[in-house]
Amino acid sequence: MTITTGRADAAPAASAVRDHRAPARPRSETPAALMRVYQLLLTAVVLGTWEILGRAGLIDTFFFSLPSAIGVAVWDWIISGFIFPHLWITLQEALYAFIIGTGLGLVLGFLLARVRFLERLFEPFVQMFNALPRVVLAPIFLLWFGLGIESKVAFGVTLVFFIVFFNVLQGVKSVDKVLLDNARMLGATERHLIQHVVLPSALTWIFSSLHISVGFAIVGAVVGEYLGAAAGVGYVIAQAQGVFDTEGVFAGMFILMIVVLFVDLGVNRLERYLLRWRPVPGA
Amino acid sequence: MTSVEEAHAPAIQLDGCTKEFVTPQGGSYFAVKGIDLTVMPGKFVSIVGPTGCGKSTVLNMAAGLMTPSEGEARSFGAPVMGVNRRASYMFQQDALLPWKTVLDNVALGLIMRGVNKKEAAAEARRWLAKVGLSNFEDRYPHQLSGGMRKRTSIAQAWIVNPDILLMDEPFSALDVQTRQIMENELLEIWQESGKAVIFITHDLDEAIALSDEVVLLSAGPASHVVARYDITLPRPRNLLEIRDDPQFVELHREIWGKLRDEVAKTYAAKAA
Repeated sequence: MTITTGRADAAPAASAVRDHRAPARPRSETPAALMRVYQLLLTAVVLGTWEILGRAGLIDTFFFSLPSAIGVAVWDWIISGFIFPHLWITLQEALYAFIIGTGLGLVLGFLLARVRFLERLFEPFVQMFNALPRVVLAPIFLLWFGLGIESKVAFGVTLVFFIVFFNVLQGVKSVDKVLLDNARMLGATERHLIQHVVLPSALTWIFSSLHISVGFAIVGAVVGEYLGAAAGVGYVIAQAQGVFDTEGVFAGMFILMIVVLFVDLGVNRLERYLLRWRPVPGA
Repeated sequence: MTSVEEAHAPAIQLDGCTKEFVTPQGGSYFAVKGIDLTVMPGKFVSIVGPTGCGKSTVLNMAAGLMTPSEGEARSFGAPVMGVNRRASYMFQQDALLPWKTVLDNVALGLIMRGVNKKEAAAEARRWLAKVGLSNFEDRYPHQLSGGMRKRTSIAQAWIVNPDILLMDEPFSALDVQTRQIMENELLEIWQESGKAVIFITHDLDEAIALSDEVVLLSAGPASHVVARYDITLPRPRNLLEIRDDPQFVELHREIWGKLRDEVAKTYAAKAA
């Protein structure tokens, strides 16, 4: 008899290469194409009902503009080119907020994770600022940076920063000790450890929070514009609201929704590429 | 080896090594106590013992990842200060970097030693061919089976041409068949190398089949060396048949008799 604990989690035989890339769809599940048809049908039914109820006078079209009217408004904005400069401003603000917030979060998260003294020193302050509902910062940023894009970027930065910061802090601190020891045994210097082990590990955490931080960058831009701006989609919505133009408010919402959807698709692609080395969770 | 003196020095020598840990309650806990261990260059030494007997602690002291609380660890005559540069370490867990391809993982040790990328990649390919993974260089570790990951680890550890190999239950997570294949491959690579190996396992079959010497540790805590056995089975060995060899059976019976006592103590201590 030999002692054989630890064999319970025996790995598959050496010749078998596991393929995580193609998770099989259960036979009984509805095919994707058919599901698309259902989704379109559902959309048509909801919008159709809304339209009919509106025309029949059962819902107040002052507060709930007819889908057809919203569609016309969106179409007008697009063919007249009215919405594009605003959209461009909003995306610019979000992009800058994302880049600056991520950069600051990365640097400070890394620093605090590596220097225990700094982490302990700053911990209560970080918690304090994170506890602050960020919207209350918008007025002060408007005073400091004016109505231009700077105040929205600053606002977005405060949102993105904390997400990235906490992820980097966690990522750097939770680096697998075995990976570090292994790299050390292979001759790693402190610089090598950061380059080959610590940084990639922290980046994993950032990449997997990309959706949230990109989302917050856009939220920051739009909310900032809504509260005070001279341009941008948030500004357009605020203007429409100011003149009781419900169609305009809905049209602005719709355009934002579609744009964010496309941005998210892009982020999905990027994430899949950057994290291609990772097993598909649950597979 | 630079001097005659060094050539005769043990690859690893632990003199009365004790490792004491402070427990969270403020008490102290001896993982190992007064360990003496000598491993000459070119020798394959296995350490066996019951679960929790501090086998990994012994290895970590030889690696320089832990400093003994008492006693001294020496490697080729020089005290081990910081990481032991002449040793490679194969961990029980997966230690491949998940974000690097198989090729980059294997080449890592050379890259960090300043070898240029092209040469490092060429050498890594040579090693991948040796461990039978030539077609998998672009895969990421998670795309490999357990056995293939171990092969990659072997290539990763050997590519830097260390004088000592420290292996901490490297095959314990593998199924029995894969494990035997890996043991055979390890012996093949080792036989032509002249490297010293410290191999930790709690599988006595594996220890006897592979080693020149089996060192038996007592049940922990404060575990110490209970006995040493020279394994004089002729080399090269055929691992698939060696378990039927009468000498093997005899050695197994003898060592197991002692090991069983230590295992029983571990269980008694746990039950108490």
